[in-house]
Amino acid sequence: MTATYAFLIAPFLEFSFMRRALVGCLALAIGSGPVGTLLILRRMSLMGDALSHAVLPGAAIGFLVGGLSLVSMSIGGAIAGLAVALISGLVTRMTALREDASFAAFYLASLALGVLIVSTHGSSIDLLNVLFGSILAVDDAALLLIAGIATVSLLVLAVIYRPLVMECFDPGFLRSVGGHGGLTHTLFLVLVVINLVAGFQALGTLMAVGLMMLPAAAARFWAREVWTLSLTSAAIALASGYVGLLLSYHANLPSGPAIILTAAACYCVSLLVGTRDSVRTRYFVRSHIHV
Amino acid sequence: MSRASAPEVVLHDLTVAYDRQPAVHHLNGRFAPASLTALVGPNGAGKSTLLKTIVGVLRPAEGRVARSPAGDIAYLPQRAEIERDFPIAVLDTVLLGHWRRIGWGGGVTPAMRETALAAVAAVGLHGLEQRTVGSLSVGQFQRMLFARMMVQDAPLILLDEPFAAIDAGTTADLLALIARWHGEGRTVIAVLHDLAQVRDNFPETLLLAREGVAWGATETVLTLANLQRVRDLLDPWTAEALAGERRRA
Amino acid sequence: MRARAWFGALALIIGATMPVPVLAQGGPVKVVATFSILADLARSVGGDKVAVTTLVGPDADTHSYQPTPSDAKAVAAADVLVTNGLGLEGWLDRLKGAAGSRARTIVASRGIAALTMEEEADAAGQARPDKAKRVSDPHAWQNLANGQIYVANIVAGLAEVDPANAGFYRQTGKAYNAALAALDRKVKDEIAAVPRTKRRVITTHDAFQYFGKAYGIAFIAPLGISTENEPSAGDIGRLERQIKSERIKALFLENVTNPRLIEQIAKDTGAIVGPPLYSDALSKPGGPAASYAAMFEHNAATLVAGMLMN
Repeated sequence: MTATYAFLIAPFLEFSFMRRALVGCLALAIGSGPVGTLLILRRMSLMGDALSHAVLPGAAIGFLVGGLSLVSMSIGGAIAGLAVALISGLVTRMTALREDASFAAFYLASLALGVLIVSTHGSSIDLLNVLFGSILAVDDAALLLIAGIATVSLLVLAVIYRPLVMECFDPGFLRSVGGHGGLTHTLFLVLVVINLVAGFQALGTLMAVGLMMLPAAAARFWAREVWTLSLTSAAIALASGYVGLLLSYHANLPSGPAIILTAAACYCVSLLVGTRDSVRTRYFVRSHIHV
Repeated sequence: MSRASAPEVVLHDLTVAYDRQPAVHHLNGRFAPASLTALVGPNGAGKSTLLKTIVGVLRPAEGRVARSPAGDIAYLPQRAEIERDFPIAVLDTVLLGHWRRIGWGGGVTPAMRETALAAVAAVGLHGLEQRTVGSLSVGQFQRMLFARMMVQDAPLILLDEPFAAIDAGTTADLLALIARWHGEGRTVIAVLHDLAQVRDNFPETLLLAREGVAWGATETVLTLANLQRVRDLLDPWTAEALAGERRRA
Repeated sequence: MRARAWFGALALIIGATMPVPVLAQGGPVKVVATFSILADLARSVGGDKVAVTTLVGPDADTHSYQPTPSDAKAVAAADVLVTNGLGLEGWLDRLKGAAGSRARTIVASRGIAALTMEEEADAAGQARPDKAKRVSDPHAWQNLANGQIYVANIVAGLAEVDPANAGFYRQTGKAYNAALAALDRKVKDEIAAVPRTKRRVITTHDAFQYFGKAYGIAFIAPLGISTENEPSAGDIGRLERQIKSERIKALFLENVTNPRLIEQIAKDTGAIVGPPLYSDALSKPGGPAASYAAMFEHNAATLVAGMLMN
């Protein structure tokens, strides 16, 4: 028993940086769980990925202005992400280009711009920091930010839940009854961006979206309703954070990738043996059909 | 629903462009209050465009649509952009018909729930209230959408090809529902392809081929001459060729 | 710059036809130093009789330096090339070959007693932890006694190339060495004033072996923290344990991956991160370590301040 304890619990008791990292993962999981679930339900998964890269030049400029300061990088990242989201929305409305294509154009330009800014004005180490972040370096201010964003996300989601769900499910109907679908869509994008900004402090712009999407994708093999999907997604995200941190501690792996790979492993396992629509239920379980 | 609150819809020299092509041009006319009108015409005639303009999704390039009195519209689009795999139950979908009354955060009263349950039963989906929409057949899905429109209780109802790819049984049931709405004094406009259906169920018809060809009582609209005129409008080459042949004969 | 290039070309042509390199008439000796510390020594010895060009400038890394075409030009035009030796400038031979230089090379570290170290990175700057072997530690200048030998070598080399001014070089060299010797004593006194048990610091620099041995400080490497990789949670845990068990508060970390991470470690363990130490290069002019002597004064003062907090 003590050996297991030493393996699973002791690192968190001994070191405050481990505790902080775990709390950070918890806050991220709570915020990203519902947002990631809705992203997938709205078939915006790749857009979530694109948004996380779009955040980069804003964060890079924030980094140049204020160093690795939480405030400047977060504000910069948020502005850049929102700008790309809104501009590509505008372009879609005004030209013939579809939303996914115009989004792709803007986020790629954004990503390249960000890398350029950091490479010319910082060192490669600085670039690595912005791209990969470090959950082991979250201080109290960063924790407050992440927790604050999670709280705001939940509050906003509670308010816009119904139109958001409707906009996913039947946007035509929402439009015809005058339900302000556009406003809902914009608010939702804002939520995605701020959760990505929370995420990239800890995991970097490349992988912040991983903790949002992978648990949500995995949750689909276990749950069905929107709220159960969100809970499952948050739980998987937290578990991935916990296991990833332990892997980083015991096996000396870099923390960010360890967490994301754990989440990916959860996805693969869910895909194979989940209770809904997994490989197992489709090919190996011969039970009578129930809905 | 009294006759007084059923709206008339007047089209004043209406021109609507779609993708910069005029889809409907210079259309004039009136849908009378509490009328039941079928909107027919060949593909590309501008029928969906016209409905969308009345709903307000598209803006007219010229002219205007006047609805009086203004009120709610229940609109069933042609190929609904509905996410069929979305985890939502039949009853919840039908409850969404109360949108105008509950909006973003309003609560659903027991009375509203009752209306929704009654609507579900009226379309023959009793017992399936808690099923997810993804598990419904095409016919059942369409019935559910009709139930939602019932709950909306709007004085103006627009339907764009509601029976496309639906089985005969469901079609018959839903036609009965439309008749019921007409009986309740609502103004109903439906785009349809099956002319037999139109002759049997719809007192008025608008025959559209980008411009209004004929509009009025169904038996005066669906005549051979009018249908030939539609063909000529949309295929002038063949019209010329046939006219030439007739002259030679 | 153009004039110098022409002079260089002229010198090359004349040098190609005569076995002994001949100076361009009336100009200073063109000295190319591989990095900033050597450049400073060369200037101190040669005064206005030399024109010194530096290849690896202040605040740059000599180990993994990639020479540029303008470096090749400078080397081609040089009369004297001042190098460190001891394997510091792995890129130099190729540069010399490419530039076709006929300069007289001074190996400044000739004659010192070299220490050895575990090789961290090969000539291309790639870390090879599995193939580590013992090689010479090139940071000999971190001991002022060695510094004086460097100066002597530079004096000898300049005197050979520019015999007319040999007397000048010897004189300036001697005066400079006297100053270095005085500085050496001063630094030893300053450090000796710190109690022996406190003379320990943790640093990522690998350049202070000579310093440590000469002046009696234990430089301890932090476990797991390097400038290249992101540290894992395990690495940080080990480092924190090390800091706590060794009871060291003085932490000197150069250019590390994430300063916020270091701040957290410092906060968790009570260690204090000291200001930058200058080991492989001088600072820019106006900085705290703009010359060799200034570098020593700065490093000594900073280390002492840190150690007193242990």
